[in-house]
Amino acid sequence: MTKKEHVKPLDKTGTKTVEKPVAKPQEKPEAIDTTRQAVPFDTGNIPGPKMARAVMPAVQGKMLAKAKRPLLIVGSQIHEEDVLSRVVAMGQTGLQIAAVGNAYKSLGDKGLDVHYANMHALASYLCDPEWQGLDGKGGYDLVAFFGITYYYASQAISALKNFSKIRVISIDKYYHPNADMSFGNLKKDVFIAALDEVIKELPKR
Amino acid sequence: MIVKKGSFVIEGLENVQINIGKIGEGLEEKIEGPTPRPEIISLRNWDYRILDRYAPVYTPTSDMCDYCTYGKCDLTGNKEGACGIDLEGQSARQALMTSIMGAACHTAHGRHLLHYLIKKYGEDRLIDVGPSNLKAPLTETIMGIQPQTIGDFLPVLDYIEEQLTQLIAAANTGQEGSARDFESKAFHAGMLDLLGMEVADIIQISCMGLPKSDEKTPMAEIGMGILDSKKPVVICVGHNIAAPAYILDYMDKGGLFDKIEIAGLCCTAHDMTRYSKSAKIIGSMSKELKYIRSGIPDVLVTDEQCVRADILREAKKLHIPVIATNEKITYGLPDRSNDSIDTIIDDLASGKNEGALLLDLEKVGELVPRLAVKMAEIRKAKGITALPDQEDFRKLVAKCTKCLQCTRDCPQSLPISDAMAAAVNGDLAPFEILHDKCVGCGRCDYSCPVGIPVLNVIEKASQQVIREEKGKMRIGRGQIGDPEIREEGRNLVLGTTPGVLAFVGCGNYPDGTKDVYDVVEEMIQRSYIIITSGCAAMDVGMYKDKEGKTLYERYPGRFIKGNLLNTGSCVSNAHIAATTIKVASIFAGRKTKGNWEEIADYVLNRIGAVGIAWGAYSQKAFAIATGCNRLGIPVVAGPHGTKYRRAFIGKPYRKEDWNVLDGRDGSVINVEPAPEHLMITAETKDELMPLLAKLCFRPSDNSLGRAIKLTHYIELSEKYLKKMPDDWHVYVRNEADLPVAKREQLLKLLEEKGWKIDWEKKKITEGPLRKVDVSFQPTNVPRLCKEVKK
Ligand code: SF4
Ligand code: SF4
Repeated sequence: MTKKEHVKPLDKTGTKTVEKPVAKPQEKPEAIDTTRQAVPFDTGNIPGPKMARAVMPAVQGKMLAKAKRPLLIVGSQIHEEDVLSRVVAMGQTGLQIAAVGNAYKSLGDKGLDVHYANMHALASYLCDPEWQGLDGKGGYDLVAFFGITYYYASQAISALKNFSKIRVISIDKYYHPNADMSFGNLKKDVFIAALDEVIKELPKR
Repeated sequence: MIVKKGSFVIEGLENVQINIGKIGEGLEEKIEGPTPRPEIISLRNWDYRILDRYAPVYTPTSDMCDYCTYGKCDLTGNKEGACGIDLEGQSARQALMTSIMGAACHTAHGRHLLHYLIKKYGEDRLIDVGPSNLKAPLTETIMGIQPQTIGDFLPVLDYIEEQLTQLIAAANTGQEGSARDFESKAFHAGMLDLLGMEVADIIQISCMGLPKSDEKTPMAEIGMGILDSKKPVVICVGHNIAAPAYILDYMDKGGLFDKIEIAGLCCTAHDMTRYSKSAKIIGSMSKELKYIRSGIPDVLVTDEQCVRADILREAKKLHIPVIATNEKITYGLPDRSNDSIDTIIDDLASGKNEGALLLDLEKVGELVPRLAVKMAEIRKAKGITALPDQEDFRKLVAKCTKCLQCTRDCPQSLPISDAMAAAVNGDLAPFEILHDKCVGCGRCDYSCPVGIPVLNVIEKASQQVIREEKGKMRIGRGQIGDPEIREEGRNLVLGTTPGVLAFVGCGNYPDGTKDVYDVVEEMIQRSYIIITSGCAAMDVGMYKDKEGKTLYERYPGRFIKGNLLNTGSCVSNAHIAATTIKVASIFAGRKTKGNWEEIADYVLNRIGAVGIAWGAYSQKAFAIATGCNRLGIPVVAGPHGTKYRRAFIGKPYRKEDWNVLDGRDGSVINVEPAPEHLMITAETKDELMPLLAKLCFRPSDNSLGRAIKLTHYIELSEKYLKKMPDDWHVYVRNEADLPVAKREQLLKLLEEKGWKIDWEKKKITEGPLRKVDVSFQPTNVPRLCKEVKK
């Protein structure tokens, strides 16, 4: 399991080679349960008495589908083909995407409603009820996220948890205590299957 | 004439004895600003001005408060605790406490040094920092005095200590309750931190022969692979040069540098190389446990700051004695300061004691090299090896059950089990990658349920790359001298030098040390001035180009565009901040003494300087950043920086936040968001680079400067994020602000945005927020305007 891009060893000459991720054929497990292992992925990341409810993907999908003005936030961990294709599929349903970190470089050319944002700044803006969103068309009522450096996402959404009224759902591979709802810690194949189930719930464009 | 302390008799008046005690107030200084020796509330108006624009953003690591016995209180959702504080207030209180801790560390370091240096050289030892009239810019700006001798810093430290006591008091339950005022107080602590650091570095530069604003300091060797482990090895860990200096002197006198290897870990290493050309550098705190575990050191000498709390336990396992030399870190060791060197050596060599507290530094100087020679023999005879052998390694990696517990405990979430699996098949490459990304914390060792010593396994697998870890770092130069400022100040203020980027802080990088090198290389090629200090300065020197040259060997060290400067250790950070004061004073003629607000206002609006603490982990780094923020310098941290729990993030969409005054007549001008943030983080280096370019914009840029800055902002965004920045046009005031090479293309884009273009004249006729005005005097402080408009 890795939360980073797979990188070849450094040759100390100042060049770094990034290996192209090889998309492994995913065997779909029969029935997935995303509510197991609902403990903070980083063991010490225990914020307090209020921690995310672990839910099944259909719940997250329905919430996203029902939201008036949802925003999907994705970060630097979405470049591998199997994950990227799910981001694109979500974007293709018309869901607006905030590409934080370096996510934009894999998303900019896909014809999606995608905007670059700095995660820390975005968290700050989302806490401001006057903010009119990434496209100036109004604030958001629900934020879903995945594929951001784990602790970075966790810290950023702690601002939303404590200082905003926005619903925050994690559809990440890891349990995020600071979200309102989250999956547990998932194996890669279960994670991909869970994303697919979320996508199934989204309205078709 | 310097009047010295002491007693003397005047000729002809033999019956009269004149005693001169403390001279301080007698310094012939003219206070130039309204806030000499600011109290904790004196600069509150300035702080509020900053906070109005850059509102604190809180990202709590814990929703609880357990400060007092009313609690634990659950503050989730910004609820109030039993004492009435809410989560915002508590987060701000933590920001204050963090800043206080950092400031206290540097100030106590300065106090220890000053005490020792006054004892050795006397209070009247003159300050000598190199070719500068503005010798102590922070001291002048904050205290309103121009110190001449090291003794003049005594009241400065008294002042800091008194202020810190006031600030600590404010953090007690039942004291301050407003988040905004906690932040104002945190700014105060940050400012005191800068002052404490300045004192510490100026006195050591003045007394100990450290380089004085020298742009051509020699190179020092750096890396885990540089020492000859066949020789006895002394490793000094921490930040305070006092004890290592005695060791270096003793070795120098005895001609021992060929016989014994001596190197430092963390900022002590910087100052050792500034003190003696024969000292070497192992690396940052991230290398501390790794290097101890290598078993190479024969003696460990600790002083203060960034010393691992488990150093004694770790050293004991490998029969490495620890000599603690500072009151602040004593590990329960027996105080042997009054014992004979021979007895102490015998007790340590026999293993009777695992270490000693030795506060007599003269003794430290002699004992350590002698002990190293003895320990090397003993440890060799015992055949002490730290890392597993080949056979053990094979067995250990095969034991891994892929439970992922280590990854979950690892602060970097490193894919350790993948590397274990690859190693089973003989592929060590994944471990070698981990070695660079691993911050050497050792948490994985504790977490593995089947008892694999994970860090040792990583290090064993990486022996090949560790042997090649040999770099070069230009030794810390100290301050930037006045002549350099005179030469470059104008370019900086007009923007024709795109910015000063200061890479500072520790080695808790999100994705390995190489990122810092990559970012510095990119930005220096774009003519930014790069200044480094502390562990970041070391890591920049760890990588080489195809010709085998490090960045320090490729780029000179003068304060002009496209140069790479290393100021020195953690306390040398003060000089980076002070450089902005020098620009305001030397280039713009601003008065400094007791004039913090005006100087900070100048820096915020005119000097494109940004600090980057990509691997910051400590309270000290946070205090430095907070001090820089109060001085108007934005800081960007790596993603771990969100765990500091507070940032200052501007809201570009709130137009009213970006009103400034024109100093000429007090009229209100709505300007572009520049700088957009005061403290923020980025997730990856790709995101960092365009962000740095953006944070260098200032309202005072002239068109040529703005065009240069805009070029880099656009190019870096296109190169690393594959997009034109969404907000590039916000920084365009007229066609001359557009990069020449892209002018036509950009005008078209502006037209698409609804701007009006006169294509014949290639002029913008409608669209920009404001016009360029070369005489514009941007300020956020009404009293600095010549004529305040009603
Ligand atoms: S020592 Fe390295 S691998 Fe182990 S937990 Fe710390 S950072 Fe992770
Ligand atoms: S904790 Fe130990 S057994 Fe578990 S994955 Fe890590 S190394 Fe393997």
